[in-house]
Amino acid sequence: MILVMVRVMALGLWRDRAGLVLVFVLPPLVFIVFATVFSAGASGRLDIRVGVVDQIGGADSQRLVDSLQRRLGGRLTRSPNVAALEDAIESGQVDAGLVLHGDLADASTPVTVLNHPGRKAAGEVLTAQVNAAVGEDLPELMLRREVARLAPLLALTPDQVRRSAGMPPGPASTPPFAAQRILPGGDPLVIYYAGAVSILFLMFTAMQGAMSLIDERRAGLWLRLGLSTGGVAPLLGGRMLWLTALGVIQALVLFQIAAAVYGVPVLTNVPAWSATAVCAAAASAGIALALAAACNTRDQAQPVSTFTFLILAAIGGSMAPRFLMPEALQTLGWLTPHTWAIEAYQTVLWRGLVNTTVLEAWTVLAGFAGVGFLAALWLEARRRL
Amino acid sequence: MAVERTEAVLHLAKATRRYGDRAALDQVDLELEEGEVYALIGRNGAGKSTLAKAAIGALALDEGSVRVLGADPSRDRYVRREIGVAPQEIALYLHLTVAENLDVFAALAGVSRAERGAAVARAMDETVCGERAAERLENLSSGWRRRANLAAAIVHRPRLLVLDEPTEGLDTETLLILRRLIARLRADRTAILLISHNAEDVAVLADRLGVMEAGRLTVEGRPAELMAWAFGGRTELVVRLSAAAPLVEPILAARGLVASDQGLCWSGMVVDALAQAREIEMALRSVDVELRELTVHPPGLDALIGWATG
Repeated sequence: MILVMVRVMALGLWRDRAGLVLVFVLPPLVFIVFATVFSAGASGRLDIRVGVVDQIGGADSQRLVDSLQRRLGGRLTRSPNVAALEDAIESGQVDAGLVLHGDLADASTPVTVLNHPGRKAAGEVLTAQVNAAVGEDLPELMLRREVARLAPLLALTPDQVRRSAGMPPGPASTPPFAAQRILPGGDPLVIYYAGAVSILFLMFTAMQGAMSLIDERRAGLWLRLGLSTGGVAPLLGGRMLWLTALGVIQALVLFQIAAAVYGVPVLTNVPAWSATAVCAAAASAGIALALAAACNTRDQAQPVSTFTFLILAAIGGSMAPRFLMPEALQTLGWLTPHTWAIEAYQTVLWRGLVNTTVLEAWTVLAGFAGVGFLAALWLEARRRL
Repeated sequence: MAVERTEAVLHLAKATRRYGDRAALDQVDLELEEGEVYALIGRNGAGKSTLAKAAIGALALDEGSVRVLGADPSRDRYVRREIGVAPQEIALYLHLTVAENLDVFAALAGVSRAERGAAVARAMDETVCGERAAERLENLSSGWRRRANLAAAIVHRPRLLVLDEPTEGLDTETLLILRRLIARLRADRTAILLISHNAEDVAVLADRLGVMEAGRLTVEGRPAELMAWAFGGRTELVVRLSAAAPLVEPILAARGLVASDQGLCWSGMVVDALAQAREIEMALRSVDVELRELTVHPPGLDALIGWATG
């Protein structure tokens, strides 16, 4: 009897092309948008637009501008003077500005970064890019600056100082003091958003499916279904099973895209990921069934569920990362299935662990599923009689 | 569990259901035997559909009891497979085909997988909807949907069939199919509770008739007997005038006719209607009032409902 209901609902989705797009295409697209934004931030690739004024016009300043041009991928424009650059920043044509105004090898601070008070982060990024450009592409310039600074201390002869100034441009001859090595593993923010977007859409998908209860009630179908020899429990059980399976498939599609595009390590954590996906999907199904059972009409269910799910998503961290939230909101988030699902996915996929946090998350999500299902059963049984 | 064949198929005793102060069902007693067609008539809101829901165990009673083949259908699930219901709405999945729908409802009624194919084929055959078996409901006209709705009610061969307004919106062909089906089911000893507004259906199909008013079963009996009891030898006489004529009002009122339509229409149940009609015609001619229409016909269900509900 449960499988009969699963078949009815599966055929309903299979024959609804718009529904298929909403369930399987929209969530990955939204995830890709979030992941693209946040993975760029995490990897240091922030796409800022920069204006530059070169008041020196020398070979070194030109090399610095060329280096920045390469780093910023063509988002560097030249301004004729400082006033024009300030106007461009003010009007938002560029995010930050760079003025080369002193001898790069000699002046104490030959470069000034201009930025708007509303976009301080852009100034920070540009400063970092300038330092990186000088350090990596103009190393002899840095050396000349150091020689000039240290000459009095080291008692260098004028000839020695001149020789250092005559060094040809080229790569740094000294090896870097510290080297970086990126460890394997997914980008935590990408994993965060994979979990966050997944649980957000699971709720809406489950609600769409659960609202068939309301349609059946209004079409008189529930009266006929109520004559089934198994009673209400298998009818709702079939729905619960289908919505959970659908949720897992939806999460699978989304996480496979996360794995393929962003290297999220799903394949190396299949058992723990599967358990998290099943618990999250079941929680969504239980909550959606309870809401559908409590509402009389679609007109009632639609706004109630949208309101509920958006509030849960906002508090639970599906929209903005939880670590950006105030302490009180972070605490409140533990009341939502979203927070538990996100935490479980992060711990499993980023840290590769199944610790007490994950076990707690599975338990809480299963609890949401059970309570939701029982509430739906109780409400439907009451409604029937 | 096997169901014994010794009990009445449906037995309601003092069935009562209240919504606040209003009694939707009020002390209703009803018994339906094998092979019997019982028609339930009454005005909208009289409690017919509530009674139908109570009969199939879909409504909890405040007082009284419901038994289907001796069991309580709201508690004893095994007896539910002996009940079929065709609600007034098309209670089917629109995204499924006719055959898929029938298969689903046969499965839910407990028909085994091995028997399901034959059960579906038989139901489609009896309701003549086999030629659309592979089409989805959403693509079918209302007539075909009604046939499928009926087929889903009988696919598991119930012994109690509840039909709520089954002739609503039916074309002539489907109406004939329905009447043939009911006749066959009656011959097959199926008990049928028929809720209908259609006087012709009730006259043709029903063995017994019950009139409901404000949750009570006010009158019950065989249709012909009820008509005779309610109206004796009286017949309905309707007189339509081309213009209101105060002079003729005493003539018509003296014969028990009642005015409507601003005095242009007079009607009532009279004995020896033909003789009365002749006298009225002569009386109107004598006062130069033009008669537009004068009809005499046997009382219908509406008149019976009117009579039963005072």
